[in-house]
Amino acid sequence: MKVAIFPPNSMILADMIVRSGHEPLVVQKQMQEKVTSPDLDAPPFNMTENDPINGLKYAAIEVPSGVRGRMSLFGPIIEEAEAAIIMNEAPYGFGCVGCARSSELTVFSLRRKDIPVLELEYPTSRDDTVEMVHKINTFLDDLNNGGGQGQ
Amino acid sequence: MSEKNDDIDAQFCHIPMGDGTYRDSDQSDKITRMIILGPGSTLSSKELFNQLHMLELPLNIRLTCYGASVNGVAEDVNYATEKMRELDPYHIFIKFRGFPPGDPRRCRAKRGGAREGFHQIEAEYKLLDDVSYALEHPKHVDLNPPKKIPLDEFKEVVDEINTQGKD
Repeated sequence: MKVAIFPPNSMILADMIVRSGHEPLVVQKQMQEKVTSPDLDAPPFNMTENDPINGLKYAAIEVPSGVRGRMSLFGPIIEEAEAAIIMNEAPYGFGCVGCARSSELTVFSLRRKDIPVLELEYPTSRDDTVEMVHKINTFLDDLNNGGGQGQ
Repeated sequence: MSEKNDDIDAQFCHIPMGDGTYRDSDQSDKITRMIILGPGSTLSSKELFNQLHMLELPLNIRLTCYGASVNGVAEDVNYATEKMRELDPYHIFIKFRGFPPGDPRRCRAKRGGAREGFHQIEAEYKLLDDVSYALEHPKHVDLNPPKKIPLDEFKEVVDEINTQGKD
């Protein structure tokens, strides 16, 4: 099952999903397609003119092109997601306003989809971390059993 | 210029990187994974590196301070990462990576300073010790928080206890 994660580049979440036999939807895969496809506009340019146009599917035209450009990366993750694990307040998820708004829009879109979602807080202590891992494993095991009792 | 044109793609098999080097288009069917050694790992980066070499697979392996980066065809990379994970399953973590190792657009040897993704590894590395402990001691937990009972039911319970106390 394809599981979306947030923050979309989290190592711990992606690793645990692979361990449980599912496929994580991470932003690195989207980046890889962008940076390895032979295209004249491929990076070192950060964004092509098509990106904000693709982002129009998720955000209105008034929304800054930076947000729409980022949504063109997160869009396929939202589309393909069959389940989601969202970690709130992750410190490395913090960024500029464009990043913050894109993150909010991504989380909002994942919550709106009719899929099992597990929401967690970023752990600040050992006990919290251990509990977080147990919760994620339970959630992923439930997905294997065809359920997914997400919140 | 942003429209993809097959003829142009076929004509330009190398894409200029902006620093005089060219990117090979053969990267399009390859993937990159980072093998990260957790704090309690019994392996060292060098041992991991040797183990990867002993697989004798056509991989591009890069030894790093946190473990190794592996680049190659998806089938080989997935096989190699699974084999490496078996060496120390609770302390070896796999991270996805978009850019190939040594890519001049992101490699710190060319740009200076840490690669962007490194800060995130650094942040998550602090949790890996506890994550390893949790993986070693698996436990099934209830994901649904306990529900609050209605006030009437709560009153009944209190009354019942009070009456038991009087008896």
